[in-house]
Amino acid sequence: MSVLALKADKRRPHGPSRVQQFLPLFPPSLILLLFFAIPMGMMVGLSFQQSDASGLTLASYERFFSDQFTLMGMARTVVMSGLVAICVTIMAYPVAYFLARSKSRWRALVFALAIAPELAGVVLRTYGWLIILENQGFINNALIWLGVIAEPLPLAKNMFGVVVGLTHVILPFGILSLLTSLQGVDPNLEKSAQILGASRASVIRHIVVPLTVPGIVSSMLLAFTMSASAYATPAILGGAGFKVLATMIYEQVLFYIDWSFAAVMANVLLVMMLIVALIGTRLEARLHQKLHT
Amino acid sequence: MKPIYIAASLLASAAFASPTMARDLIVNSYGGPYEQIIRDAIITPFEQEYGVRVIYDAVGSSSQDYAKIKATNGRPGFDVVVMTASQSLQGCEDGLLERFSPDTVPNLAHLNPEISAVAGPCGAVHELQYLSLLYRTDMVSESPQSWLDLFEDDLTGRVILPSFGNVMAAYLTQLMSVIHGGDLDSDIDPGFEAMTRLAAQSVGFEQASAILESYIVDGRVWAMPFWDGRAQLLVDSGAPVDYVLPEEGSVPLIATLNVPIGAQNKELALAFVDFFLEKTSQERWVEGYKVGSARADIEVSDQAQDRKITSQADLDALYLPDLLSLASNLSAWGERWEREVVPAAR
Amino acid sequence: MNQVVSALFWVSLVLVLTFITLPLVVVMAASLSPTAVVTLRPWEWTVQWYGDLWTARWLDPFMLSAQLALIVSIASGVLGLLAAYVVAYEKCPGHAAIMSFLLSPLAVPQIVKGVAIVLFLSSAGLYNWLGTPGLIAAHIILTLPFAVRMIATAMFNFDKNLDRAGQSLGASKMDRIRYLLLPIIKPGVFSGMTFAFIISFNNIPLSVFLVRPGETTLPITVINYIEYSLDPVLAAVNVASLLFVLGVIFIFEKIGGFSAQIHGGSK
Repeated sequence: MSVLALKADKRRPHGPSRVQQFLPLFPPSLILLLFFAIPMGMMVGLSFQQSDASGLTLASYERFFSDQFTLMGMARTVVMSGLVAICVTIMAYPVAYFLARSKSRWRALVFALAIAPELAGVVLRTYGWLIILENQGFINNALIWLGVIAEPLPLAKNMFGVVVGLTHVILPFGILSLLTSLQGVDPNLEKSAQILGASRASVIRHIVVPLTVPGIVSSMLLAFTMSASAYATPAILGGAGFKVLATMIYEQVLFYIDWSFAAVMANVLLVMMLIVALIGTRLEARLHQKLHT
Repeated sequence: MKPIYIAASLLASAAFASPTMARDLIVNSYGGPYEQIIRDAIITPFEQEYGVRVIYDAVGSSSQDYAKIKATNGRPGFDVVVMTASQSLQGCEDGLLERFSPDTVPNLAHLNPEISAVAGPCGAVHELQYLSLLYRTDMVSESPQSWLDLFEDDLTGRVILPSFGNVMAAYLTQLMSVIHGGDLDSDIDPGFEAMTRLAAQSVGFEQASAILESYIVDGRVWAMPFWDGRAQLLVDSGAPVDYVLPEEGSVPLIATLNVPIGAQNKELALAFVDFFLEKTSQERWVEGYKVGSARADIEVSDQAQDRKITSQADLDALYLPDLLSLASNLSAWGERWEREVVPAAR
Repeated sequence: MNQVVSALFWVSLVLVLTFITLPLVVVMAASLSPTAVVTLRPWEWTVQWYGDLWTARWLDPFMLSAQLALIVSIASGVLGLLAAYVVAYEKCPGHAAIMSFLLSPLAVPQIVKGVAIVLFLSSAGLYNWLGTPGLIAAHIILTLPFAVRMIATAMFNFDKNLDRAGQSLGASKMDRIRYLLLPIIKPGVFSGMTFAFIISFNNIPLSVFLVRPGETTLPITVINYIEYSLDPVLAAVNVASLLFVLGVIFIFEKIGGFSAQIHGGSK
């Protein structure tokens, strides 16, 4: 009920106006419609068009799905994003746990560090990793100097480098999702379990982790989506042979200027993300059920 | 509530204020070292002569600029853009670029007709470069004379190549094709075969010229293909490198000035194009950016004459590709490059 | 056993924090190195590159980026507040569906959103929008979902009993919104706005299509510069803008006091 609805009540006692209730929604929806929904509709339409043919055609989709190279790119996107989702969640967990439970004065510093990667531009952060990981980078130089290895390890210009770079970029988001979830778990639950004689390990395994399953799932989903659409990191740290959907979309848009094909890849990426989101929600519901029955 | 008012007025000014004065000319070109050279050699003299202000826009490579022109249907926001002959032809075909005529750009008449023809009616050729062989003088015992020297054993693991997103890759493939018995367009197989072999001996691929040149400057590689203009800038910077035009010849990079069809300041844009093609402007540009010119009547230093494309004889040493067929082949060649050449590098 | 688990926890925490800090340290060392070769020897370091930042080449894009991010964060805050009010406070019919509509831009890669917006604007003949107005609109689309989500969370946590108490004391709806709801959800609104500011300030993929000549954002200026030369001034730009963003967070925190929410206030 809004102010106006209250006033109207005095005159007309039955039913506040539904339209007025939705009124504040108008400006944000209009912006979303104009600058997101309609343009995206055009983009989907474009994927069924070809420059040299009139009418709708599935030719660009056929080209995508009949080509081993683009399919490889799609598979690489899934593997890369999956690895990043796992790495981000595992690495974010201890940090989020510390932030949720600790009362130490280092907490503010850890929090600042945890979100720091997000504050720096992605391109230079990625160059930072390149300097660390490349063949004559800090790690390889140090290991060779120490005599641990004779030949540089292939740390950059491959899947490993990309996963490292993306994990770093996305870690703050994982930490924040897990933090929200961990703050929802009553610390007294852990204390009482320990008083009752449960070991630290079993408290974590049987109480903390199960109760934060929604946070784990949402962290993995967020990390997956963000890595699947990331461009700069795979382009810089992956090298020439490392093509994922996002980098192929950029090439089609900016180099080959074939937007219908770019739209096809974008739609494939979108559908892929929706499927992953669906699997994630299902998984979460399943685990939820398992824990509560 | 004061911040709200400030924000509201900011919002209003950003949304409604027109960004530039009517007389300003917006020129889109490249950034980095290029920007200072073009300012000194061309833009500042132009501003003085015409009493106007030029806004310099360094956003985007030439293919990105073309993508922007296409997305905006010929109204990208800039009045003059530096691209290459390939985009000039494509843009002309798509009706996105202004056609030049001797009336609007009188200096076009002074350009080499053969080169002008390659760029089509929408491109004004303001600069020529050739693909040179850049090498480390302190690492390579005798200076290479042939493109085939890149394949020599002592350069194994000491060559870097452009990735296909850099148009140099396509040109290099064409050149290799000619050298190995194929041709520039239809019989390209020998080119890909040679590039695959070369890739196997290389350290890999990079796209941006700045990164490519960092490899040879810090000594990670000893030789690479590079456009002669930037190669000369590297030599001048004091790096222990030099470059040659190999005996088999080379291919040109034909850079053009273009005016988008929807340019807001078209008259001044055409004046700028003509100004860039003036004899004196071309001389300053050849000396400043260390490139060649399509004007045969320019008078430049011996060094420039020696190493840059400044005469008909220089031009005869180059293979002129059919850029329209290159454009139509680009996508297929790109796929082939990713399948055959890139995997060979590892 | 417990000691082992606890030691493992601390070791992993330290390792993760090192992992986070490492590239940032490298970028900082790069910004202080005399040449493009990064040196870790502090006695060779120089601040000369920071001096180069005080030129129009970097200051103009910085000003544009800062203004843009401010406008975008305020617009996302206001629009997000309106949307969250209907969805999370009024709980209008179909609020779950409306919420997923509001969050849907998150699922689309940025480059696709960028091309789609440019195509739409030019095919609708809105050429004047290509440039800063389009940039503002595109950044709002990008940041609005974050703002809506954070403000809605704050609204969900708002205790409706307070509202009822106010109502029984005769406060009008407007008064209750102004004196009860808004002050309580303020931290949520400001954390949403801070996120919007950071995302807009660092954005590349959407901006690349929409920057207008002569009006380029800072990240776009940086990537254009990389195409042609790699010198430490780029790292200096990055460190300086990191410090700027930290300053902005500090100011927003002073106004909005959202760290209480992040530090354990929210559930």
